[in-house]
Amino acid sequence: MFGSSEEGARPARLDRDRGLVEAARRDPSRFDTLYRKYLAQVYSYAFYELRDHHAAEDATERVFMQALAGLPRFEERVDEFIASRAPLSAADSAEFSTFRVWLFRIARNVVANERRRDRRRPVSSLEAAAEISAPGDVVEAAAAREAMSAAWQAVARLPEDRRRAIILRFVDEMSTAEIAAVLDRSEGAVRVLLHRALRSVADDLRGGLS
Amino acid sequence: MLGNRTRDARRTERYLDGLMAADERRASDGPVDTDLDPAIYVAAQALRSGLVRVHPSFRFEESLSARLAAGALRLRSGLPVDAEAVIVPGTVASFRGRSFTPAEEPAAAPVSEPAASTTPPVHSRTIWPAAAFRRFPDMTARPSRPLIVGGVGVASAAISIGAVYVAWRHSHPAASRMGRAARTAHGRTGHSGHGRRSGVINGILGVVS
Repeated sequence: MFGSSEEGARPARLDRDRGLVEAARRDPSRFDTLYRKYLAQVYSYAFYELRDHHAAEDATERVFMQALAGLPRFEERVDEFIASRAPLSAADSAEFSTFRVWLFRIARNVVANERRRDRRRPVSSLEAAAEISAPGDVVEAAAAREAMSAAWQAVARLPEDRRRAIILRFVDEMSTAEIAAVLDRSEGAVRVLLHRALRSVADDLRGGLS
Repeated sequence: MLGNRTRDARRTERYLDGLMAADERRASDGPVDTDLDPAIYVAAQALRSGLVRVHPSFRFEESLSARLAAGALRLRSGLPVDAEAVIVPGTVASFRGRSFTPAEEPAAAPVSEPAASTTPPVHSRTIWPAAAFRRFPDMTARPSRPLIVGGVGVASAAISIGAVYVAWRHSHPAASRMGRAARTAHGRTGHSGHGRRSGVINGILGVVS
């Protein structure tokens, strides 16, 4: 799709990272800008999925190394991916980052492999895996910690596909279209997935309160 | 005609879009939809405040950046990005996260000096580990947001702060008379920091007393 003559035939869906990706493809050392832009998002996704800082770091490293290695072939892969999806609205395409979707599809595979490999390793809770400190007074910090703990426990109990959708939506702030592209589902399916996940979380929180 | 489930799912999506837009604007209040299921509202609010973005330690960030820069150089030369993964018999496999040899280093130059226009904007919800010690604009915008940092980052930051404090104490004589007296008395025993430091300096300068 990059610089493709087919652009006129399809709605412009590329993309807020277009300039950065083109620069990185011309000169791979410019990939650093994309790396810095998406480091926290990829790392967060890996951390919430693997619940271990070291495992998240390893996964993050693999994701970016694979992305850098795959950059020359990015165009073809995007073409395959886009061909399988319905066109976006003009408003969506302004927010849509094909690079981010591609990066997260790599991340999804890397994290899934990591989880398969470490299935026998005991999974710690997110609270135990993270050092949490909140600015402000002690009461405020305790309340923040409690809110996070409740949210994390509720998310940890969700089925895999709902948990992924919730993390991509709330932590990585992706649109429904982007989540659908990352998870390889239709937008309608993702909408229902998120709705059901929120209902489950609400039930869980209600259960915790009572 | 849309089924109830689809309609509810669409309503939830609109609400979540509004919530995300409010975060972009750094507005504390989210959108209002009186027809939205209250359970969805409660869950979305809980997840909005509870699920924060996590940033790795800066040491990891810089280390990976350097590895990517080296990979970019290899890529430009037509070699595989992660050449370290290929171990040739009879050679020494490089240790992960090592510092670069001078031969590899020049490739990092364009990366270490990013143009101002290409610096990515800091995301409003990204939380940085350094904010634990220094307040960033992000933190002042939403001061109640909790902070999560990489474990290695916490340890190294604590050690650094300790080292800085010890160095500062040695370079600043005590202000009070009692403090000065105690330091002088301690110095006579030959174990003071000043004594050790001057010994080191003398050694460096080659001064023989």
